[in-house]
Order: sequence, then structure tokens, then C-alpha cells
Amino acid sequence: MTQDISRRGLMAGAALLTAGMPGIGMAFERDGNRKVLVFSGNQQVPVLDPHVRYDWSTRMIQQSVYDALLKYEGDPPRIVPWLAERYEVSPDGLTYTFHLVGNAKFHNGDPVDAEAVRFSFERGLKLNAGIAWMLKDFLKPENIAAVDARTVRFTLDRPFAPFISYVPWWYVVNPRQVRANQDGDDLGRKWLTENAAGSGPFRLRRFDANTLMHLDAVPDYWKGWPMADADRPSGIIYRIIREAAPRKAALQRREADIITNLTPDDIEQLSRVPGVVVENHKGSTTFGIKFNCQQGPTADINLRKAIAYAFDYDSLLAIHNGAAVLMTSPFPASMAGHIDVPGIPRKDLDKARDFLRRSRFPNGGIELEYVHVQGLEDARRIGLALLDSLRALDIRVNIVGQPWPTMTSRGSKPETSPNMMSVYVTPVGTDPDTVAYQYHRASWGLYYGTAHYENAEVSRWIDEARGETDNAKRMALYARIQTQIVADQPELFGMVANRIWARRDYVQGFTFSPVRFTGEIDLYPLWARG
Amino acid sequence: MSATAEETVAAPPRRRLRLALWLLSRSFSSMLGLFLVIAIVVLALIGPWIVPYPDHVAGAVSLANKLQPPSAAHWLGTDEVGNDILTRVIIGARISLLVGIGITFAAAAIGVPLGILAGLAGGRLREAIMRFTDLFLSVPGLVLAIALVAALGPGIVNAMIALILVWWPGYVRLAESKALSIREEPFIEAARVAGASRARILRRHVLPNSLSPLIVKMSMDIGQAILAVASLGFIGLGAKPPTPEWGAMISIARGYLPDWWWYAMAPGVFIYLAVLGFNLLGDGLRDILDPRSNRG
Amino acid sequence: MLGYLLRRIGLAGLMLFGLVCLTFVISNVAPSDPAALAAGPDAGRSQIEQARRDYGLDKPLPEQFLRYLTDLAHGDFGRSIATGRSVGTDLARYFPATLELVILAMALGVLLGVPLGVLSALRKDGPADHATRIFAVSGIALPPFWFGLLLQLAFATWLGLLPTSGRLSVFTEPPPPITGLLLVDSLLTGNFGLFREALSHIILPAIVLSLPCLASILRVNRSEMVEALRMDYVTAARAHGVTPWRIVMVHALKNAMLPTLAIIGLRWGWMMSSTVLVETVFDWPGIGLYAVSSAIAGDFKPVMGVTLIVGLNFMIANLIVDLLYGVLDPRLRRA
Repeated sequence: MTQDISRRGLMAGAALLTAGMPGIGMAFERDGNRKVLVFSGNQQVPVLDPHVRYDWSTRMIQQSVYDALLKYEGDPPRIVPWLAERYEVSPDGLTYTFHLVGNAKFHNGDPVDAEAVRFSFERGLKLNAGIAWMLKDFLKPENIAAVDARTVRFTLDRPFAPFISYVPWWYVVNPRQVRANQDGDDLGRKWLTENAAGSGPFRLRRFDANTLMHLDAVPDYWKGWPMADADRPSGIIYRIIREAAPRKAALQRREADIITNLTPDDIEQLSRVPGVVVENHKGSTTFGIKFNCQQGPTADINLRKAIAYAFDYDSLLAIHNGAAVLMTSPFPASMAGHIDVPGIPRKDLDKARDFLRRSRFPNGGIELEYVHVQGLEDARRIGLALLDSLRALDIRVNIVGQPWPTMTSRGSKPETSPNMMSVYVTPVGTDPDTVAYQYHRASWGLYYGTAHYENAEVSRWIDEARGETDNAKRMALYARIQTQIVADQPELFGMVANRIWARRDYVQGFTFSPVRFTGEIDLYPLWARG
Repeated sequence: MSATAEETVAAPPRRRLRLALWLLSRSFSSMLGLFLVIAIVVLALIGPWIVPYPDHVAGAVSLANKLQPPSAAHWLGTDEVGNDILTRVIIGARISLLVGIGITFAAAAIGVPLGILAGLAGGRLREAIMRFTDLFLSVPGLVLAIALVAALGPGIVNAMIALILVWWPGYVRLAESKALSIREEPFIEAARVAGASRARILRRHVLPNSLSPLIVKMSMDIGQAILAVASLGFIGLGAKPPTPEWGAMISIARGYLPDWWWYAMAPGVFIYLAVLGFNLLGDGLRDILDPRSNRG
Repeated sequence: MLGYLLRRIGLAGLMLFGLVCLTFVISNVAPSDPAALAAGPDAGRSQIEQARRDYGLDKPLPEQFLRYLTDLAHGDFGRSIATGRSVGTDLARYFPATLELVILAMALGVLLGVPLGVLSALRKDGPADHATRIFAVSGIALPPFWFGLLLQLAFATWLGLLPTSGRLSVFTEPPPPITGLLLVDSLLTGNFGLFREALSHIILPAIVLSLPCLASILRVNRSEMVEALRMDYVTAARAHGVTPWRIVMVHALKNAMLPTLAIIGLRWGWMMSSTVLVETVFDWPGIGLYAVSSAIAGDFKPVMGVTLIVGLNFMIANLIVDLLYGVLDPRLRRA
């Protein structure tokens, strides 16, 4: 605080305009005798409705104001009971019965009962947006039953092993509040965009989609709080600062207590700043460059192999200043069933030239398009590294940044899908099916299926694994799937970048879980010391 | 106006040019403008032969060298993939200059004929052309250009197309007003009565008279077009990597502020000096060629 | 006069319609699939088709256009594809921020541009004149985004005097809007702390945005002044011992008023458009930032909405200036 005073002295001497400027040099804000923590990231939260939209920033707020039956925690991620104190699965893998805790309450005081759970799942399926894809093909709304006030039963159409891994993302809304604010038959969609009807540890205080979210801690949260009562913050502000530099400055000036979306080059700088701690954790978001396996030069497996052997994988690590791990399989290492596939390509120009000679373009002399999401700096730099690598094969690379809908629209058909498209994929759960399914024939044309990869055997194995209830057999199948995919090289398997946050050292209770999205953290256990 | 018009038509071009140059050399700011413009043009012409690392604009990547501060080997430091910033800004002069000139000339090529046509034809055709022009003039240029490039996809060519589309109306206005004012001049009446063809009137009288304001406007516009392309680049809708476009460089450098602040400096200074040069030159030319229109 | 006004308004309406057509065409030339954007990254085909129906994207283009027109007529700008939020609501939220910025920048331009222009003319061809002229051209030549970054670096990062970005500190809850302009609202409610805070946030972006306008006003005032000082009656007045200061105040400024007004009219719409860059740099939550972030995401409804709003501003500003011209200068009143 002494530094603060001296700076104020300096300011008084400066222009009249700036004298006594609030908000500068301040530590965390106090609200009464409790603190308000400020978390800053680059992404807005346009729609809070938990059944309509999710991305990292949105889900972070959703997780704070809503509860689900189960919750992901820790590294490696575990699924822990939350609104449900326990659940049972029938031996045929079709029926899941959840038993709810008795004391959960929505913010308005209504109890969280089986009907609320049933209503929420039904709403998610009926809106057919956001999270619906996870369960839609296996669960009909009419097959969810509120058996009694504290028991919900789901009956699946056919066995679906990953079911439980998706349940933590289905948040429970208060049916009475939703019905009261219904607009026509929209199931409260309009109202829930900027309002919340949840039971989570935080209550929505201020919602400003483009600027900030202000959450108030619920003092008598039904589940209690992990920190001592005196340490519990009054609330948390999620502040949107789009650019890295001002965000970093905000942390240094203690206008923010924890920030994310840092460039790899920031890590080193920030770790030298006194009072700042860098949280650097192994992530689960894979980066790959999908080849168009059906049309154009990359339909030729030898060319794909040549590119995979020519690429300088070390550049991926250099771009991330070492805060990344090269992929050793199509699955991220944190995924159940992951194996290190032997012989996954690494830079080897002799092999690359060898494969190139066997391709339709023995001497190169072609130009390939590399498409990335407009504005993604890492993907752009990787494009430059790719361009540099492929010069050795006399293959030119045209680096194109395009908006997301243009990319997906192009990728939806083999005829228009770019030669190479950089794609980040974050598995939504811990089940290997989430990652494996992108190589299934049915994923053709979706953003993770722009490779239009075809291997009937792989597709069959993926289907088999989905319905397999014996875990050992399942994992053996996934090992085969990984090996075969690497052999077919539908994409250049890149790296998994670390997840990075920087926080002030007084911020306590930071927990990391790779199953959350890049940037997303659990706000519930956070508090500030001193 | 009639006196000026007759005078400019009457004086032989070469003498007028000499007079103009002499007047220009009397003004400090005009000379500064001329110097800056010549410097940029020279850099653009000989750039590839004088830069220390010609490979660094073609997509060479040396990550071990990234984000170096200015040094003897890299006078302006290196960027996020280890490329020499000095090399990239110098080659960037080529792109910016080409784009600035390209946009301006294309816009003039569309706008001037339309304007003259409107001015000479009059009647319903004029009304149609001018309303259409007004529509584009009432459109917020930068916002429209952003929308266009976002729709067409980023890239220097698309950025140029978008900017040409928002740029031409100014030339219609200019050419139309010139053609309109000249149409009423007695000597045109005389020429028409004497049986001169429309094409001849156009060539002998309208074009030369429109030339001075046109040159002034184009000189200014080259600067503004350079700025506009850089602006699109800054938003992320300009040149594709590894093309060293100034605005795009600043856009990337912005992520490396404040710790690597020198990265953002050089491209900004180059944009500033280039635009300043063309504007000062345009200003100076206007004072000489078109003294009455010295407005805003 | 009334007839003229009506004709102008009719013309403006026609142009607005043209603008709607133009933006609609632009937003549909992109080879993109808005439904995929609406449905979200992990959506399967069924969700994408659902989103297509939800947003009416399955209808043929002419029908979509008609629907957009009818919605616009009801003041509804449609829904953003990427967020599902109402564009009208978003515009209403962001427009006051932009308006405040533009007004302040305009005020700065006039308050600095007029005296500097006069000064330059009085010291014609002296060093002060050259300096102000180069300053004026610099105002047009400085890339606003770069200059903004420089100011940010100097005043916020290095000197720590001003905040880097945003409209208010995160901890300050904005008051319930009266006009939506924070500077005005804080004065109306007598909240001077808030006023100071808002001012400290707006000052850097306003300076950057004001420069080109300041430059134009400076130049016009200089040239009008130079002209006026050459007039016979001024020379005569001077000979009669009237102080130069009085001459400036009475004659020259009066002459400069109309062109200054014209520039304000022209620059108004222009500023609304170029605020895009300033807002991007300063994270200013206005319509410019809204347009850019939507355009980058390939979400065109917000871009169309912003284009229309800015276009409307263009037209209204021009109309007002034309009318004022008529009132102030009867010679220019048109038939």
C-alpha cells in the first residue's frame, strides 16, 4: 500500500485531470469487509443460457451460477457427486438412476427437486442447441422420469458408455422461474440470455455481455464453501479485456487478480514480476492440421506423409516457449485409453522426400492452402512455420485466416474443404469417444471432420467402443483406433498447448482441471489472502 | 473562375509545370512532402536489394531469434518469428505504395469518367449517377470496407477491392462539378457553336481543366489509401502472412506491448511519414494548382 | 423551405433503403454458413439445421430480405447469429458510448482547431505557422490506431496516470442511464467522482479521434483568416487603429464559422465510422468495437446494424448542416 500512496502523491503533482483517479494502483476491491476478486480474459459472455451456448468464458459463469448433477474436479479430472449424491447404472447400461441431495436450493429459495432436473434435461434436448448434441441421439425427453422428489431416472435408447462423462455439463435451471418468464413457447430462452435461474455458489449481480459479469457469492450456498467463512469473497468480477497488453497491465497494476489468454512470450515476463504467480498446466486441447483426404493433392496419402515428415515439430514448442507437449497419438495424453503410437512422424527430411517421390508430385512445385481461424495468433505463426518447413519440398503454402463460419462452410464438403485446416479440439469430457468420434465417417463435414477421412474399419471400431460396457475391451479398441489413424495420417498431429493463467500471489484456492476449456477455471474455491 | 480556366487552358503545359515546381520549392512543408514521397518511392524501388535479410519477407522462420531488441545485426530488432523488422518495414513500403497508388488510380478511373458523363449529359442520367454516388458517399467508408473484406475474406487484393468500392464516389463528385462548371463557360459554348465534337470538347477543355484538382486529390488520396489499408491490416483484415504489411505488423506487435514496444514503433513511423509526405505534397500542389479550393 | 426539407428527408429515406440493400448484398456474398456459427462448434447436423430454421436462414434470400426490411420498419435490427442476441438491444447499449466519444472529440477539435488556425494565420509563414501546418497534416497522417497505442503506452503503462482502456473502472457500477453519456449523467446527478473517472477514461481515445477533425478545422480557419486579413475593410480598420485582436474576433471568426460548421457536419459521420479503430485500441464499448468484433467472427447482422446507424448519422448531420447554412447564410438558400 505504501507504493500506492507514493503514486498518488505523484499524481497530485500531475495534471489536474488525473488527480485522485480511482481504480489505479488498487489491490482487490473490498465490499464491506469482504473482497471482490477480478478475473480477466478476452472472451465475452453473450448468452448465459446453459442449454443454448457454451464456450470457455460462458461455461465458467454458468458453472458458477448453476449446479449440475455431477461435477468435474481436479487433475486428472474426477467426476464428483454434486446435486446428485449418488447414481446407479443398470447392468445393461441403459438405465441411470440419480439420487438427489435433500438440501439444495435455488437462489430464490425453491428446492432443487427431481422435477427441476427432468425439466432441465428436457429443455436442453428440446432447444436442440448448445449441449444437445451430447445426448440427443441416445436420450428421448419422454424417457426422463422424476420418480419421486429426490430420484430421477434416465432410460437410454441404446447403451452409451460416455453418458456419465457428459452429465456434468447439463446444468439445472429452476422450472418455476423459467415458466414465469416464458415468451411464447421459447422455454425461457430469451429471458435466460441475461438472467440466471440457478442454485450455484454465485448469484448474478450484473450482466454486461461485452464488458463484465459481476457475481455475488451466495453466503448460505447449500453445499457450503471450501474456504474459512471469514475468507469467503463477497463476489467475483469477470472482466473482458480483449487485448493481451492491457490485460497484463491490469494484473501488474492489481486491477485484476487473475488473468488468462496470455501469449507464450508473456509467461517468462510475468513470472519475473514480483507478486505474480504463473499457473502453467498441461492442457488437453489438441492442435492438428487436418488434410483434405478426399480432394486435391492431399488426397494422396504419400503427400500427407511427406508433409508430416517435413514439418518442424520443434517449432511448435518454440512458438509456445516450451509450454506445449507434442502429440504422440490422436488423443491428448490426459485422455483415458491414450497410448503413445510408435512411429508417429517427426521431422525427417529424407523420409519426407522419399514419400514425396512416391506421391503424384515427386518434385513438389505445388501450392497448398492453409486455413486458420481469423485472429488466432498461434495458428497464424504455426502456418508460418509450416510454410518454412515445406520450402524444403518445394511446396508453397498460402496462409489464409478466415472467419469461423466461412471455414466450417468450406469444410462441410470435400470439394470445398481446404487442403490444410488448422483445428483446435478440446474434448468435452474424459471419455475417449469424444476425441475418437471426430475420425468417424459420421463426422464428415463438421468442423472436426473437415479431413473427410474415410476408413470403414476405424468407423466400425468407434461404434463398437461406444456400446462396449467392458472397460478393458474398450481401451484395447481405442489403442487400435489410435494406431490406425496415425497410419492413415488424415491430419498432421501437432501439440497440446499448456493452459496458462497468471495470478497475484494472494489469490488462493486456484485449482486446475484439464477437462475445462482453455482459460476456464472453477471460480467457486477462489479467495484472497490478507 | 472563368479567368483561371482560360488561363490554364492557354498556358503551355511545360511552362506551367516549371512555374509550379518553382512555387513548390519555395514552401518548406511542400519540400518536406516531396522529400518524403521520393524517399518512400526510392525505398520501394530498391528495397529488395538493400535490405539485410531479404529472406525474411518470404516466410523464413528462425524462432531461436524471436523478439530480439535492436542490435547491430538487427537495427530495429526482430519480430515474433525471428524476422528482421527493418527488412520487413522496408519491403512493406513497396506494398503500401503499390496499394495506395492502385486504389487511388482505380478509384479515379471509375469516378472521373462517370463524373464527366454526369456533368456533360445532365438530365436524368446525371440525376441517376449522382444519386448513386451520394448513396456511396453517405456510407461510412471504413465500416463498409470492413464489412466487405470480412465478407470477401482477408487479403491485400480484397482489401484493395473494398477500398476502391468506397473510394470512387469522391472522384465522381469532383469531375462532375468541374465538368458542370466548364459546360457553362463561354469558350465551351463557343467551341460547341463552332461545331467541335463532344469528344473534342472533352479532350481539349474538360480534361485539362479537371487535371489540377485531380492531381491534388490523388496525391492526398494515395496517403489516405495507405492509411486505410494499414487500418484494415490492423483490424486483422489486411495482407496475409508472411506479407510484410505495416498495419498488420502493428496489429501483431500490439500483442507484444509494452515489453517489446520497439516492435510496434517502426511500422507506425513508416505509415506516418508516408502519409505525411503525400499529404504535404498534395497540400503544396493545391496551393499552386488550385488555390481557390483551399478548404478543409 | 419546408418543401426543400421534405425533399431532403425523402431523399435520405431513399438512400437509407439503398444502404440496406447494399449491406444485405455484402453480408450474403460471403461463402459462409451462418447456421453453423449459430449452432456452435460442437453442434451436429441436426443442431445446425435447427439453428437454420430458428434464424429463418432456410428461407430464400428475397424472402429473408423482405423479412429484414419489415423488421427494420418495426425498429428491429434482427438477431446476431453468433450470440443470438437482439442487435437493436446491443446497439442501444453501445451507441451512447460512441456518441459520447464523438461529441467530446468534436468539441476538442473545435476548441483547439479554431484558435490554432487563427494563430497560424496571424503568424503566416512564420515558424509557428509552419509548425501548426505540419501539426495539422500530422493529424490526418498519424495512424489513429498506432497513435492510440503510443498514448496508451506513455500515459497508462509508463506514467501510470490514466487507465488503459474501458469506459469506467470495473469496480464502478455505471449509474442508471439518463442520457447514457457518462460525463453528462454524472454531472446531472452531481456525482463528481464518477465524472472524473469517466473523464480519465475517455480523454485519450477522444484526443486520438479528434486529431483529423482538429486538423480540418485548423486549416479552414487559417485560410479564412488569411483571406479576411487581406480584405480591404480589414486593412482600413487596421489603419484606423483597430487592434488586430478585435479584427480577429469580429470579422474573421464570423467568416470562418460557416466552413467550420460544414466540417463538423462532414466529420460527424466520418468520425462515427473511424471510431472503429479508436474503440478497438481502447476497448471502448461502442458500436465500432461491436462492428469489428462481429465482422471478424463473420457475424453480419450487427455489422449491418452499425452501418445503418452510422449512415443515418451521416445523413442527419448533413441535413442539419444544410439547414443551418440556409438559416445562417440567406444567400445560400436554395430554391
